[in-house]
Amino acid sequence: MDEFLRNIPLYWAKIIAGSLYVLLAIWVITRPGEYIYRGAENRKKWRDLRLWAIFLIGIQIILYIIF
Amino acid sequence: MREILVQNIDIFLIIVYLLSIFIFGLLFKEYVKSTEDYFLAGRALPWWVIGMSIIGTNIGAYDYVGAAGGAYRFGIAQANYEWLGAIPAMIISALVIVPYYWKNKVYTVPEFLGKRYKESVRVIEAVIYGVFLIMLLGIFFWASGIMLHTYVGWSIGFSIVLTAIVVGVYTISGGLAAVAITDVVQLGIMFVGGFAVAAVGFIKAGGVFNFFKALKAAHPQHLNLFLPLNNPAYPWLGMILGLGLVLSPAWWCANQSIIQRALGAKTEWDAKAGMMFAAFPKTLIPILVVLPGFFALMFAPAGAIKNPDQALPWVVKNFLPPGLGGLVFVAFIAALHSSVDSTLNSAATLWTRDIYQKYIKKNASDSHYLIVGRVLTFAFIIFGVVFAPFTDKFPGIYVAMQTLLSFFQGPTLATLLLGVLWWRSTGWGGFWGLSIGVLSAIGLSVLKVNFLYVAWWSFVISLIVNVVVSYLTPPEPPEKLRGLVYGYLEKDENFKAAVERRING
Repeated sequence: MDEFLRNIPLYWAKIIAGSLYVLLAIWVITRPGEYIYRGAENRKKWRDLRLWAIFLIGIQIILYIIF
Repeated sequence: MREILVQNIDIFLIIVYLLSIFIFGLLFKEYVKSTEDYFLAGRALPWWVIGMSIIGTNIGAYDYVGAAGGAYRFGIAQANYEWLGAIPAMIISALVIVPYYWKNKVYTVPEFLGKRYKESVRVIEAVIYGVFLIMLLGIFFWASGIMLHTYVGWSIGFSIVLTAIVVGVYTISGGLAAVAITDVVQLGIMFVGGFAVAAVGFIKAGGVFNFFKALKAAHPQHLNLFLPLNNPAYPWLGMILGLGLVLSPAWWCANQSIIQRALGAKTEWDAKAGMMFAAFPKTLIPILVVLPGFFALMFAPAGAIKNPDQALPWVVKNFLPPGLGGLVFVAFIAALHSSVDSTLNSAATLWTRDIYQKYIKKNASDSHYLIVGRVLTFAFIIFGVVFAPFTDKFPGIYVAMQTLLSFFQGPTLATLLLGVLWWRSTGWGGFWGLSIGVLSAIGLSVLKVNFLYVAWWSFVISLIVNVVVSYLTPPEPPEKLRGLVYGYLEKDENFKAAVERRING
């Protein structure tokens, strides 16, 4: 098992991490607006926390591609 | 005699900061009239204060000193603690976990687990986290001692006591409001100082591109976020399984000192947005904590740095001009203070709400519990100061904290996730899952397993035990689960009414 794991190329770590980020983004996008805005003073676009999350995930994917 | 390189202007800046933050924090004393004011800032915090306070709390001296040391030794893989090991968990915490805490109007994470499972789960969590937070204080104090000793030349003991006095006075008097607002100021100072170091370093190297080109040529492994499996500290599989899937979600979903700010939010949206907003500055933290390690690696003469934890103090002491050095040093002190004050406040909240109020003196007046909270805060300062020298027994400050965390982060996360996401999880399932998970983590640590894998396997064991025991015991009644389990009875009118009642007190 150890030998098998040691032979996995390092780029697979990036693929796994990237896949997790993409899955998270899909999950975030599918959250209902009513839940996201609950308790907000108004429903202005900037208060949509899904957009905040997608922006954050996008930055992460870029960083993990570069490094 | 020890060489002291601080200039008068540095000393001036340090004194101005200490006096300003001391007086600023004291201003909040008059707003504290009840335990809700003291522990939760009167539930009036807006999202941006919550977000900045969370990062101020999260980034402490251990990050500056320990993470810079990690970057010096292992490279940008250290940044995983700020990226893969934070951002996804913060998003999940904001959208899944935090709303449930907030809606249930709890003061502490153990209080929530007690409601969801049973009181014994609350006690175990409260004692574990209560003890951990106090030990964490020792680590923070020790880090401040090293920093002040290396840069200014003060004795470690004097530096620790000075930190305790400055932070202790405003934390005891102003509670969470003083802690959160001073955190905002301190985070601003931290970023100014961090960017100043980055600017000086890149100028010395002839630009950003030249610096990274030279770094890659001299230390190619230092620009890889993932390191091979035989790396002693950060093997890539451990980083993904242990850090990304267990330690990080546990930290951002169940750490009292992090969550407490969101519990003080004025609305559910502010609670969620506060946690999400914190992820933006978090993304930039490697500029503050990783780059100094790189600068030490590239610019320090051979043999100048004997211990990686000395990387950052070396940069501050030898790298920056007078004035700027003082500013940066103030930023480090600010980072330290913002973590110490939050830890103090959270430890006092846990011990007052979950232990004292629950088991030692029930039904006392609110003013009595307010006094107890303040007395406990003072007691924890004393303990942290006394415990500080013992943290030197560990090989590195950052590893010391992560080792402590790995004992219970995995089991706590398993218990919390099953509690919030799975209606069938029962009180006994939570109790045995948590207990056996913690014991297995301690056992694995004794066997010298890497702490990242300890976190992962104790999480898995806790999860399995919880599921098995839950199936062997009768399910919890729907009345108990309403408002506590994600998606459970969302469309049920009784559920909506129960949530409304909790929101409206």
